[in-house]
Amino acid sequence: MIWIDGVLVSRGEAGVYGERVIRGFRVWNPRRSKLAAYYYLGGEIEIDAPMRILYLGAAHGTTVSHVADYADVVYAVENAYAPMRDLLAVAARRKNIVPLFSDAAEPALYAPLVEEVDLLFQDVAHADQAGIAIRNMPFLKDGGVALVVVKARSIDVAERPADVVRGVSGKLEDSGLFIRRVIWLEPYHRDHAVLECTRD
Amino acid sequence: MYIIPGAPRSLSMPEYWFGEVRGKSCTPAGSRDPEYLARRLEGIRISMDSFSPLTWEMARDCGFVATREEYLRILHDLCMHRAEMSLSLVAARPEQELIQMVHMRDQLDEAINLLVEKAIEWHAARSPEFSRKYRVLRPASALETLLAEGGPHVREIATGIRHLSEARAGITREIERIAGTVLPNCSALVGGLVASRILAAAGSLEGLARLPAGTIQVLGARTALFAHIRSGSLPPKHGIIYQYRGVHRAAKGRRGKVSRTLGAKLAIAAKIDLFRGERDEGFLDAARSALERAGGGLVR
Repeated sequence: MIWIDGVLVSRGEAGVYGERVIRGFRVWNPRRSKLAAYYYLGGEIEIDAPMRILYLGAAHGTTVSHVADYADVVYAVENAYAPMRDLLAVAARRKNIVPLFSDAAEPALYAPLVEEVDLLFQDVAHADQAGIAIRNMPFLKDGGVALVVVKARSIDVAERPADVVRGVSGKLEDSGLFIRRVIWLEPYHRDHAVLECTRD
Repeated sequence: MYIIPGAPRSLSMPEYWFGEVRGKSCTPAGSRDPEYLARRLEGIRISMDSFSPLTWEMARDCGFVATREEYLRILHDLCMHRAEMSLSLVAARPEQELIQMVHMRDQLDEAINLLVEKAIEWHAARSPEFSRKYRVLRPASALETLLAEGGPHVREIATGIRHLSEARAGITREIERIAGTVLPNCSALVGGLVASRILAAAGSLEGLARLPAGTIQVLGARTALFAHIRSGSLPPKHGIIYQYRGVHRAAKGRRGKVSRTLGAKLAIAAKIDLFRGERDEGFLDAARSALERAGGGLVR
Protein backbone atom coordinates (compact mmCIF):
# COMPACT_ATOMS: atom_id res chain seq x y z
CA MET A 1 0.00 0.00 0.00
CA ILE A 2 1.16 3.55 -0.63
CA TRP A 3 1.53 5.80 2.42
CA ILE A 4 2.51 9.47 2.36
CA ASP A 5 3.50 10.78 5.81
CA GLY A 6 1.22 8.25 7.49
CA VAL A 7 -1.70 8.92 5.13
CA LEU A 8 -3.02 6.03 3.05
CA VAL A 9 -3.39 6.97 -0.62
CA SER A 10 -3.91 5.37 -4.00
CA ARG A 11 -2.72 6.29 -7.46
CA GLY A 12 -5.47 7.08 -9.94
CA GLU A 13 -7.68 9.66 -11.56
CA ALA A 14 -9.03 11.90 -8.78
CA GLY A 15 -12.46 13.42 -8.35
CA VAL A 16 -14.54 10.29 -7.74
CA TYR A 17 -16.29 11.51 -4.60
CA GLY A 18 -14.51 14.73 -3.67
CA GLU A 19 -11.58 12.94 -2.04
CA ARG A 20 -8.49 14.98 -1.11
CA VAL A 21 -5.37 14.74 -3.19
CA ILE A 22 -1.80 14.82 -1.87
CA ARG A 23 1.01 15.16 -4.40
CA GLY A 24 -1.12 13.63 -7.12
CA PHE A 25 -2.28 10.72 -4.95
CA ARG A 26 -5.87 10.15 -3.85
CA VAL A 27 -6.35 10.13 -0.08
CA TRP A 28 -8.14 6.98 1.13
CA ASN A 29 -10.01 7.96 4.28
CA PRO A 30 -10.32 5.31 7.04
CA ARG A 31 -13.45 6.99 8.40
CA ARG A 32 -15.25 6.54 5.12
CA SER A 33 -13.87 3.20 4.07
CA LYS A 34 -13.72 0.05 6.17
CA LEU A 35 -10.96 -1.38 4.02
CA ALA A 36 -8.85 1.76 4.56
CA ALA A 37 -9.49 1.48 8.31
CA TYR A 38 -8.31 -2.13 8.12
CA TYR A 39 -4.97 -0.99 6.69
CA TYR A 40 -4.64 1.78 9.27
CA LEU A 41 -5.13 -0.80 12.00
CA GLY A 42 -2.39 -3.08 10.80
CA GLY A 43 -4.15 -5.25 8.21
CA GLU A 44 -1.53 -7.18 6.32
CA ILE A 45 -3.43 -8.49 3.31
CA GLU A 46 -2.31 -5.95 0.76
CA ILE A 47 -3.59 -5.35 -2.74
CA ASP A 48 -1.09 -5.26 -5.57
CA ALA A 49 -1.10 -4.91 -9.31
CA PRO A 50 -1.75 -8.46 -10.55
CA MET A 51 -4.57 -9.11 -8.08
CA ARG A 52 -8.10 -10.01 -9.10
CA ILE A 53 -10.71 -9.11 -6.56
CA LEU A 54 -14.33 -9.98 -5.94
CA TYR A 55 -15.95 -7.15 -4.01
CA LEU A 56 -19.38 -7.87 -2.48
CA GLY A 57 -21.39 -4.86 -1.35
CA ALA A 58 -19.73 -2.33 -3.63
CA ALA A 59 -22.20 0.43 -2.66
CA HIS A 60 -21.44 3.80 -4.27
CA GLY A 61 -18.05 2.68 -5.53
CA THR A 62 -15.91 4.95 -3.36
CA THR A 63 -13.83 2.19 -1.77
CA VAL A 64 -14.05 0.22 -5.00
CA SER A 65 -12.37 3.09 -6.84
CA HIS A 66 -9.37 2.91 -4.51
CA VAL A 67 -9.20 -0.86 -4.76
CA ALA A 68 -9.26 -0.52 -8.55
CA ASP A 69 -6.32 1.91 -8.34
CA TYR A 70 -4.25 -0.90 -6.84
CA ALA A 71 -5.62 -4.07 -8.44
CA ASP A 72 -5.77 -5.64 -11.87
CA VAL A 73 -9.55 -6.02 -11.87
CA VAL A 74 -12.41 -5.62 -9.38
CA TYR A 75 -15.66 -7.51 -9.77
CA ALA A 76 -18.05 -5.18 -7.94
CA VAL A 77 -21.37 -6.69 -6.83
CA GLU A 78 -24.12 -4.37 -5.62
CA ASN A 79 -27.80 -5.07 -5.26
CA ALA A 80 -29.39 -1.67 -4.58
CA TYR A 81 -30.61 0.70 -7.23
CA ALA A 82 -29.37 4.09 -6.02
CA PRO A 83 -25.81 3.02 -5.09
CA MET A 84 -25.56 1.12 -8.37
CA ARG A 85 -26.21 4.32 -10.31
CA ASP A 86 -23.19 5.93 -8.64
CA LEU A 87 -21.10 2.79 -9.02
CA LEU A 88 -21.78 2.77 -12.77
CA ALA A 89 -20.52 6.34 -13.05
CA VAL A 90 -17.31 5.25 -11.31
CA ALA A 91 -16.99 2.13 -13.47
CA ALA A 92 -17.46 4.18 -16.64
CA ARG A 93 -14.17 5.97 -15.83
CA ARG A 94 -12.30 2.92 -14.53
CA LYS A 95 -12.18 0.12 -17.03
CA ASN A 96 -10.93 -2.42 -14.51
CA ILE A 97 -14.17 -2.27 -12.50
CA VAL A 98 -16.69 -4.85 -13.67
CA PRO A 99 -20.08 -3.76 -12.28
CA LEU A 100 -22.51 -6.54 -11.37
CA PHE A 101 -26.05 -5.47 -10.44
CA SER A 102 -26.82 -8.60 -8.48
CA ASP A 103 -27.57 -10.08 -5.09
CA ALA A 104 -24.40 -11.36 -3.40
CA ALA A 105 -26.54 -14.02 -1.72
CA GLU A 106 -27.14 -15.58 -5.14
CA PRO A 107 -23.71 -16.01 -6.70
CA ALA A 108 -25.10 -18.31 -9.40
CA LEU A 109 -26.46 -15.19 -11.11
CA TYR A 110 -23.03 -13.69 -11.73
CA ALA A 111 -20.97 -16.90 -11.72
CA PRO A 112 -20.65 -17.03 -15.54
CA LEU A 113 -18.96 -13.60 -15.44
CA VAL A 114 -16.52 -13.73 -12.54
CA GLU A 115 -13.09 -15.30 -12.88
CA GLU A 116 -11.12 -16.99 -10.15
CA VAL A 117 -9.98 -14.28 -7.72
CA ASP A 118 -7.06 -13.74 -5.36
CA LEU A 119 -9.03 -11.77 -2.81
CA LEU A 120 -12.64 -11.71 -1.72
CA PHE A 121 -13.75 -8.56 0.08
CA GLN A 122 -17.21 -8.52 1.59
CA ASP A 123 -18.98 -5.55 3.15
CA VAL A 124 -22.69 -6.28 3.03
CA ALA A 125 -25.49 -5.26 5.36
CA HIS A 126 -27.27 -8.56 5.65
CA ALA A 127 -28.41 -10.78 8.50
CA ASP A 128 -26.63 -13.81 7.04
CA GLN A 129 -23.17 -12.43 6.33
CA ALA A 130 -21.45 -15.74 7.01
CA GLY A 131 -23.71 -17.55 4.55
CA ILE A 132 -22.98 -15.04 1.81
CA ALA A 133 -19.23 -15.39 2.31
CA ILE A 134 -19.48 -19.18 2.24
CA ARG A 135 -21.57 -19.20 -0.91
CA ASN A 136 -19.00 -17.01 -2.68
CA MET A 137 -15.98 -19.09 -1.68
CA PRO A 138 -15.95 -21.08 -4.95
CA PHE A 139 -14.59 -17.96 -6.67
CA LEU A 140 -11.56 -17.78 -4.39
CA LYS A 141 -8.47 -19.50 -5.73
CA ASP A 142 -6.44 -21.87 -3.55
CA GLY A 143 -4.30 -19.83 -1.20
CA GLY A 144 -6.54 -16.78 -1.64
CA VAL A 145 -7.79 -14.68 1.25
CA ALA A 146 -11.27 -13.48 2.14
CA LEU A 147 -11.68 -10.26 4.09
CA VAL A 148 -15.14 -10.35 5.60
CA VAL A 149 -16.40 -7.18 7.26
CA VAL A 150 -18.78 -8.22 10.02
CA LYS A 151 -21.36 -5.54 10.54
CA ALA A 152 -22.49 -6.66 13.95
CA ARG A 153 -25.48 -4.33 14.05
CA SER A 154 -26.81 -5.64 10.76
CA ILE A 155 -26.87 -9.17 12.07
CA ASP A 156 -28.33 -8.56 15.46
CA VAL A 157 -28.99 -5.20 17.10
CA ALA A 158 -29.45 -6.60 20.57
CA GLU A 159 -26.58 -9.03 20.95
CA ARG A 160 -23.09 -7.94 21.99
CA PRO A 161 -20.93 -7.23 18.89
CA ALA A 162 -18.18 -9.56 20.14
CA ASP A 163 -20.72 -12.40 20.39
CA VAL A 164 -21.99 -11.68 16.90
CA VAL A 165 -18.46 -11.85 15.52
CA ARG A 166 -17.87 -15.12 17.38
CA GLY A 167 -21.05 -16.48 15.83
CA VAL A 168 -19.97 -15.51 12.30
CA SER A 169 -16.46 -16.90 12.87
CA GLY A 170 -17.94 -20.18 14.07
CA LYS A 171 -20.11 -20.53 10.96
CA LEU A 172 -17.17 -19.76 8.67
CA GLU A 173 -14.99 -22.29 10.49
CA ASP A 174 -17.72 -24.93 10.27
CA SER A 175 -17.63 -24.53 6.50
CA GLY A 176 -13.93 -25.27 6.44
CA LEU A 177 -12.43 -21.79 6.64
CA PHE A 178 -9.62 -20.77 8.87
CA ILE A 179 -9.88 -17.40 10.64
CA ARG A 180 -6.37 -16.04 10.81
CA ARG A 181 -7.11 -12.78 12.48
CA VAL A 182 -9.91 -10.55 13.70
CA ILE A 183 -9.39 -6.80 13.47
CA TRP A 184 -11.90 -4.49 15.10
CA LEU A 185 -12.32 -1.22 13.24
CA GLU A 186 -12.51 1.05 16.29
CA PRO A 187 -12.12 4.00 16.38
CA TYR A 188 -13.01 4.46 12.71
CA HIS A 189 -16.17 2.35 12.56
CA ARG A 190 -18.24 1.21 15.52
CA ASP A 191 -19.25 -2.43 15.92
CA HIS A 192 -17.44 -3.51 12.77
CA ALA A 193 -14.73 -6.13 12.55
CA VAL A 194 -12.75 -7.56 9.66
CA LEU A 195 -12.16 -11.30 9.58
CA GLU A 196 -9.12 -12.52 7.65
CA CYS A 197 -10.10 -15.94 6.33
CA THR A 198 -8.23 -18.54 4.36
CA ARG A 199 -9.16 -22.02 3.21
CA ASP A 200 -7.01 -24.51 4.97
CA MET B 1 -29.59 -25.35 -20.39
CA TYR B 2 -30.94 -26.76 -17.19
CA ILE B 3 -28.66 -28.47 -14.71
CA ILE B 4 -30.23 -31.02 -12.43
CA PRO B 5 -29.14 -30.24 -8.88
CA GLY B 6 -26.73 -32.84 -7.64
CA ALA B 7 -26.14 -34.24 -11.09
CA PRO B 8 -22.68 -35.70 -11.63
CA ARG B 9 -20.14 -33.16 -12.75
CA SER B 10 -19.65 -34.74 -16.16
CA LEU B 11 -23.27 -34.09 -17.07
CA SER B 12 -23.07 -30.34 -16.59
CA MET B 13 -21.32 -28.39 -19.28
CA PRO B 14 -19.96 -25.20 -17.77
CA GLU B 15 -21.22 -22.23 -19.70
CA TYR B 16 -19.53 -18.93 -19.23
CA TRP B 17 -20.18 -15.50 -20.67
CA PHE B 18 -17.70 -16.02 -23.52
CA GLY B 19 -18.68 -19.55 -24.49
CA GLU B 20 -19.33 -23.11 -23.50
CA VAL B 21 -16.49 -25.27 -22.19
CA ARG B 22 -16.73 -29.02 -22.56
CA GLY B 23 -13.66 -30.82 -21.33
CA LYS B 24 -10.85 -29.70 -23.57
CA SER B 25 -13.07 -28.36 -26.32
CA CYS B 26 -14.89 -25.05 -26.21
CA THR B 27 -17.49 -23.30 -28.29
CA PRO B 28 -17.06 -19.51 -28.24
CA ALA B 29 -20.05 -17.19 -28.21
CA GLY B 30 -21.20 -16.10 -31.65
CA SER B 31 -20.47 -12.39 -31.25
CA ARG B 32 -18.75 -9.87 -29.00
CA ASP B 33 -21.61 -7.41 -29.16
CA PRO B 34 -22.70 -6.54 -25.57
CA GLU B 35 -26.36 -6.89 -26.46
CA TYR B 36 -25.84 -10.32 -27.98
CA LEU B 37 -23.74 -11.48 -25.03
CA ALA B 38 -26.28 -10.13 -22.54
CA ARG B 39 -29.08 -12.03 -24.23
CA ARG B 40 -26.96 -15.16 -24.30
CA LEU B 41 -26.36 -14.81 -20.55
CA GLU B 42 -30.11 -14.81 -19.89
CA GLY B 43 -30.21 -18.45 -20.89
CA ILE B 44 -27.32 -19.60 -18.73
CA ARG B 45 -28.12 -21.39 -15.49
CA ILE B 46 -25.28 -22.32 -13.21
CA SER B 47 -25.45 -24.59 -10.22
CA MET B 48 -22.99 -23.57 -7.53
CA ASP B 49 -22.70 -27.17 -6.31
CA SER B 50 -20.60 -28.28 -9.23
CA PHE B 51 -19.12 -24.93 -10.10
CA SER B 52 -15.54 -24.23 -10.94
CA PRO B 53 -14.75 -20.59 -11.65
CA LEU B 54 -13.56 -19.51 -15.04
CA THR B 55 -10.14 -18.18 -15.88
CA TRP B 56 -9.53 -15.71 -18.68
CA GLU B 57 -7.16 -18.17 -20.29
CA MET B 58 -10.18 -20.36 -21.09
CA ALA B 59 -11.56 -17.53 -23.19
CA ARG B 60 -8.18 -17.22 -24.94
CA ASP B 61 -7.90 -20.95 -25.58
CA CYS B 62 -11.45 -20.84 -26.81
CA GLY B 63 -10.41 -18.35 -29.45
CA PHE B 64 -12.76 -15.69 -28.08
CA VAL B 65 -10.01 -13.16 -27.28
CA ALA B 66 -6.28 -12.86 -27.88
CA THR B 67 -5.14 -10.85 -24.84
CA ARG B 68 -6.20 -10.15 -21.28
CA GLU B 69 -6.74 -6.47 -22.12
CA GLU B 70 -9.18 -7.51 -24.79
CA TYR B 71 -10.89 -9.92 -22.39
CA LEU B 72 -11.40 -7.24 -19.75
CA ARG B 73 -12.55 -4.63 -22.26
CA ILE B 74 -15.29 -6.84 -23.73
CA LEU B 75 -16.36 -8.03 -20.25
CA HIS B 76 -16.44 -4.46 -18.95
CA ASP B 77 -18.59 -3.29 -21.87
CA LEU B 78 -20.93 -6.24 -21.40
CA CYS B 79 -21.40 -5.64 -17.66
CA MET B 80 -21.85 -1.89 -18.10
CA HIS B 81 -24.51 -2.64 -20.69
CA ARG B 82 -26.29 -5.17 -18.48
CA ALA B 83 -26.27 -2.91 -15.42
CA GLU B 84 -27.53 0.06 -17.41
CA MET B 85 -30.35 -2.02 -18.87
CA SER B 86 -31.40 -3.31 -15.44
CA LEU B 87 -31.26 0.19 -13.96
CA SER B 88 -33.40 1.63 -16.73
CA LEU B 89 -35.94 -1.15 -16.21
CA VAL B 90 -36.14 -0.28 -12.50
CA ALA B 91 -36.35 3.45 -13.17
CA ALA B 92 -39.13 2.97 -15.70
CA ARG B 93 -41.48 1.54 -13.07
CA PRO B 94 -43.95 4.20 -11.92
CA GLU B 95 -43.88 2.83 -8.38
CA GLN B 96 -40.24 3.91 -7.99
CA GLU B 97 -41.24 7.58 -8.06
CA LEU B 98 -44.01 6.81 -5.59
CA ILE B 99 -41.47 5.28 -3.20
CA GLN B 100 -39.25 8.36 -3.42
CA MET B 101 -42.28 10.57 -2.71
CA VAL B 102 -43.12 8.56 0.39
CA HIS B 103 -39.56 8.96 1.65
CA MET B 104 -39.69 12.70 0.96
CA ARG B 105 -43.00 13.11 2.73
CA ASP B 106 -41.76 11.31 5.84
CA GLN B 107 -38.61 13.41 5.80
CA LEU B 108 -40.69 16.59 5.51
CA ASP B 109 -42.75 15.50 8.51
CA GLU B 110 -39.64 15.15 10.59
CA ALA B 111 -38.14 18.43 9.39
CA ILE B 112 -41.34 20.39 9.97
CA ASN B 113 -41.84 19.04 13.49
CA LEU B 114 -38.27 19.78 14.41
CA LEU B 115 -38.33 23.29 12.96
CA VAL B 116 -41.63 24.15 14.64
CA GLU B 117 -40.30 22.91 17.95
CA LYS B 118 -37.11 24.94 17.71
CA ALA B 119 -38.91 28.06 16.50
CA ILE B 120 -41.32 27.81 19.44
CA GLU B 121 -38.47 27.43 21.91
CA TRP B 122 -36.74 30.43 20.45
CA HIS B 123 -39.88 32.53 20.57
CA ALA B 124 -40.63 31.36 24.10
CA ALA B 125 -37.18 32.51 25.19
CA ARG B 126 -38.14 36.04 24.09
CA SER B 127 -41.66 36.05 25.45
CA PRO B 128 -41.89 33.72 28.46
CA GLU B 129 -45.69 33.97 28.69
CA PHE B 130 -45.83 32.02 25.40
CA SER B 131 -44.21 28.90 26.76
CA ARG B 132 -47.19 27.70 28.80
CA LYS B 133 -49.64 28.53 26.08
CA TYR B 134 -48.04 26.64 23.20
CA ARG B 135 -48.20 23.29 24.89
CA VAL B 136 -51.90 23.14 24.27
CA LEU B 137 -51.68 24.49 20.72
CA ARG B 138 -51.68 22.31 17.67
CA PRO B 139 -48.52 22.78 15.58
CA ALA B 140 -50.52 24.55 12.87
CA SER B 141 -51.92 27.16 15.24
CA ALA B 142 -48.56 27.47 16.98
CA LEU B 143 -47.21 28.40 13.58
CA GLU B 144 -49.93 31.06 13.14
CA THR B 145 -48.99 32.54 16.51
CA LEU B 146 -45.34 32.66 15.54
CA LEU B 147 -46.21 34.38 12.28
CA ALA B 148 -48.26 37.00 14.13
CA GLU B 149 -46.17 37.59 17.24
CA GLY B 150 -42.64 36.42 16.50
CA GLY B 151 -39.60 38.56 15.91
CA PRO B 152 -38.54 39.22 12.32
CA HIS B 153 -36.32 36.14 12.07
CA VAL B 154 -38.80 33.83 13.74
CA ARG B 155 -41.46 35.13 11.34
CA GLU B 156 -39.21 34.44 8.37
CA ILE B 157 -38.57 30.88 9.54
CA ALA B 158 -42.27 30.36 10.25
CA THR B 159 -42.99 31.41 6.68
CA GLY B 160 -40.49 28.84 5.45
CA ILE B 161 -42.11 26.16 7.58
CA ARG B 162 -45.49 27.08 6.15
CA HIS B 163 -44.13 26.62 2.63
CA LEU B 164 -42.82 23.21 3.62
CA SER B 165 -46.22 22.29 5.05
CA GLU B 166 -47.87 23.30 1.82
CA ALA B 167 -45.39 21.21 -0.13
CA ARG B 168 -46.13 18.30 2.21
CA ALA B 169 -49.86 18.64 1.63
CA GLY B 170 -49.26 18.73 -2.14
CA ILE B 171 -47.04 15.66 -2.06
CA THR B 172 -49.59 13.82 0.06
CA ARG B 173 -52.34 14.49 -2.50
CA GLU B 174 -50.01 13.37 -5.28
CA ILE B 175 -49.11 10.18 -3.39
CA GLU B 176 -52.80 9.37 -2.96
CA ARG B 177 -53.38 9.98 -6.65
CA ILE B 178 -50.47 7.87 -7.93
CA ALA B 179 -51.18 5.14 -5.37
CA GLY B 180 -54.71 4.96 -6.75
CA THR B 181 -53.33 4.00 -10.17
CA VAL B 182 -50.26 1.94 -9.16
CA LEU B 183 -51.83 0.20 -6.16
CA PRO B 184 -55.56 0.43 -6.81
CA ASN B 185 -56.59 -2.50 -4.62
CA CYS B 186 -54.10 -2.02 -1.79
CA SER B 187 -55.07 1.67 -1.68
CA ALA B 188 -58.75 0.83 -1.58
CA LEU B 189 -58.12 -1.36 1.46
CA VAL B 190 -55.84 0.81 3.60
CA GLY B 191 -55.67 4.19 1.85
CA GLY B 192 -53.08 5.47 -0.59
CA LEU B 193 -50.56 6.68 1.96
CA VAL B 194 -50.37 3.51 4.05
CA ALA B 195 -50.37 1.39 0.88
CA SER B 196 -47.45 3.44 -0.45
CA ARG B 197 -45.52 3.03 2.79
CA ILE B 198 -45.97 -0.74 2.59
CA LEU B 199 -44.78 -0.59 -1.01
CA ALA B 200 -41.73 1.45 0.03
CA ALA B 201 -40.88 -1.10 2.71
CA ALA B 202 -41.11 -3.93 0.17
CA GLY B 203 -38.96 -2.01 -2.33
CA SER B 204 -41.00 -2.68 -5.46
CA LEU B 205 -44.45 -3.79 -6.53
CA GLU B 206 -43.10 -7.11 -7.71
CA GLY B 207 -41.29 -7.54 -4.42
CA LEU B 208 -44.50 -6.78 -2.52
CA ALA B 209 -46.53 -9.19 -4.64
CA ARG B 210 -44.06 -11.96 -3.85
CA LEU B 211 -44.25 -11.45 -0.10
CA PRO B 212 -46.29 -13.84 2.01
CA ALA B 213 -49.19 -12.41 4.00
CA GLY B 214 -47.42 -12.86 7.32
CA THR B 215 -44.50 -10.76 6.14
CA ILE B 216 -46.74 -7.96 4.87
CA GLN B 217 -48.51 -8.02 8.23
CA VAL B 218 -45.28 -7.20 10.11
CA LEU B 219 -43.46 -5.09 7.50
CA GLY B 220 -41.97 -2.19 9.41
CA ALA B 221 -41.77 -4.10 12.70
CA ARG B 222 -38.35 -5.55 11.99
CA THR B 223 -36.87 -4.90 15.44
CA ALA B 224 -39.77 -6.52 17.23
CA LEU B 225 -39.79 -9.45 14.81
CA PHE B 226 -36.12 -10.23 15.26
CA ALA B 227 -36.37 -9.79 19.02
CA HIS B 228 -39.11 -12.41 18.88
CA ILE B 229 -37.16 -14.84 16.70
CA ARG B 230 -34.08 -14.48 18.86
CA SER B 231 -35.29 -14.34 22.38
CA GLY B 232 -38.85 -15.53 22.19
CA SER B 233 -40.48 -12.27 23.21
CA LEU B 234 -44.03 -11.81 21.96
CA PRO B 235 -44.20 -11.62 18.17
CA PRO B 236 -45.32 -8.32 16.64
CA LYS B 237 -48.96 -8.28 15.59
CA HIS B 238 -48.58 -5.48 13.07
CA GLY B 239 -46.07 -3.22 11.37
CA ILE B 240 -46.94 -0.40 9.01
CA ILE B 241 -50.51 -1.64 8.76
CA TYR B 242 -51.05 -0.39 12.32
CA GLN B 243 -51.35 3.07 10.76
CA TYR B 244 -54.53 1.93 9.08
CA ARG B 245 -57.31 2.94 11.42
CA GLY B 246 -59.11 -0.37 10.98
CA VAL B 247 -56.19 -1.82 12.91
CA HIS B 248 -55.38 0.80 15.51
CA ARG B 249 -59.03 1.50 16.25
CA ALA B 250 -59.91 -2.14 16.61
CA ALA B 251 -60.54 -3.44 20.11
CA LYS B 252 -57.27 -4.42 21.69
CA GLY B 253 -58.05 -8.11 21.85
CA ARG B 254 -59.01 -8.10 18.20
CA ARG B 255 -56.07 -6.27 16.68
CA GLY B 256 -54.05 -9.41 16.04
CA LYS B 257 -56.94 -11.03 14.21
CA VAL B 258 -57.61 -7.90 12.16
CA SER B 259 -53.90 -7.57 11.32
CA ARG B 260 -53.67 -11.17 10.21
CA THR B 261 -56.73 -10.81 7.99
CA LEU B 262 -55.49 -7.52 6.59
CA GLY B 263 -52.05 -9.00 5.82
CA ALA B 264 -53.73 -11.83 3.92
CA LYS B 265 -55.99 -9.49 1.98
CA LEU B 266 -53.12 -7.13 1.14
CA ALA B 267 -51.09 -10.06 -0.17
CA ILE B 268 -53.92 -10.81 -2.60
CA ALA B 269 -54.47 -7.13 -3.40
CA ALA B 270 -50.79 -6.66 -4.26
CA LYS B 271 -50.93 -9.54 -6.70
CA ILE B 272 -54.02 -8.12 -8.40
CA ASP B 273 -52.30 -4.71 -8.52
CA LEU B 274 -49.21 -6.18 -10.15
CA PHE B 275 -50.81 -8.52 -12.65
CA ARG B 276 -54.08 -6.77 -13.50
CA GLY B 277 -53.52 -3.23 -12.31
CA GLU B 278 -57.19 -2.41 -11.84
CA ARG B 279 -59.72 -2.37 -9.02
CA ASP B 280 -61.50 -5.60 -8.40
CA GLU B 281 -64.76 -4.66 -6.68
CA GLY B 282 -65.72 -8.26 -6.01
CA PHE B 283 -62.47 -8.89 -4.19
CA LEU B 284 -62.69 -5.60 -2.30
CA ASP B 285 -66.21 -6.30 -1.03
CA ALA B 286 -65.19 -9.74 0.16
CA ALA B 287 -62.05 -8.38 1.79
CA ARG B 288 -63.93 -5.61 3.59
CA SER B 289 -66.47 -7.98 5.02
CA ALA B 290 -63.72 -10.35 6.12
CA LEU B 291 -62.10 -7.41 7.92
CA GLU B 292 -65.40 -6.51 9.56
CA ARG B 293 -65.85 -10.02 10.79
CA ALA B 294 -62.29 -10.07 12.13
CA GLY B 295 -62.84 -6.78 13.92
CA GLY B 296 -66.08 -8.05 15.40
CA GLY B 297 -68.02 -5.12 14.05
CA LEU B 298 -67.85 -2.08 11.86
CA VAL B 299 -64.68 -0.84 10.22
CA ARG B 300 -65.01 2.57 8.74
